[in-house]
Amino acid sequence: MTDSPTESLDEFAKSLSYGKRSDLTFKFLPRFDEPTIGDSLGAVLREVGAMFDSGNAADLIDLAISLQIDGYHARPLTERYRYDDGPFSRPERPVSESRVALLTSSGHFAADDDPRPLGVESMTQVEAEARISEFMKEAPTLSEIPVSSPADLLDVRHGGYDIRGSLSDHNVSFPIDRMRELDEQGVIGTLHETAYSFVGACSQSRLIKQTGPEWAGRLKSTGSDVVLLVPV
Amino acid sequence: MSVGHVARELEAAGIATVAIYVEAFSHYAEAMHLPRTVVTPHPMGRPLGPPGAAARQREVIAAALRLVDTADSPGAIERIGGAYRPGGLADDGA
Repeated sequence: MTDSPTESLDEFAKSLSYGKRSDLTFKFLPRFDEPTIGDSLGAVLREVGAMFDSGNAADLIDLAISLQIDGYHARPLTERYRYDDGPFSRPERPVSESRVALLTSSGHFAADDDPRPLGVESMTQVEAEARISEFMKEAPTLSEIPVSSPADLLDVRHGGYDIRGSLSDHNVSFPIDRMRELDEQGVIGTLHETAYSFVGACSQSRLIKQTGPEWAGRLKSTGSDVVLLVPV
Repeated sequence: MSVGHVARELEAAGIATVAIYVEAFSHYAEAMHLPRTVVTPHPMGRPLGPPGAAARQREVIAAALRLVDTADSPGAIERIGGAYRPGGLADDGA
């Protein structure tokens, strides 16, 4: 059902971005102009039709990823966060002799240590998605998670991306199992016993001025030489 | 861009970083001039690869860690080949 007798393609696309048809996988669609939205939907439907005979979703997956790339690349990063250069720390020893930590923006946390975003206990993913604009004004909270945590003691919540993959296998965005394996194989010198995660949808100014420097100090105090970062 | 800002803070504190971005956000890593970036052809929310694809996930992390050892100047970007194929889905429709 729609609110009006007719709905333009622009209106439809906007409904996917935190609107009445909110869909975090396709929320980029309103970044396209209307003809491109129509062409994109047509292409997706053609691939769905082709699947009836091929039984293979590979081309549809490739198309959806390609549209995601085009959608996000359609808008450059705001000038405020573009930098002509950046700090570069040269490692003093190879990774095989280094202490390595994991830090992700995937919104993972230990199930018994909910960061209680916006002061809410046990916030659902649906509520996180509905309150995304409030998240974008808040300083992020860094969750500490033992790298030995089994899957059933992990949780994830993030109103900015489709968490279904992360729920199915946390390693797609929070790869502590893979990191433990690389540690056991000697690829990593020592895996830092705590992994870190936060919700990347947050106030950038607070991250830059407050939490970012605090986190860097915290990681430095652990003796970590290298940090593997995973944005989602 | 949140992870980009964290990377810049960590590097300034003397900690080497490498970030694993999906292609959809690779332009953020470039614009923020991050020191080391691995870019995967995976969808948003699954930068390491499909659920259950342990070998692919290991491949991506190994590439990232190699970049820490080999990059000798900031702005190093390595793109991982292959495609996103969940559940053992084959490339050829088989």
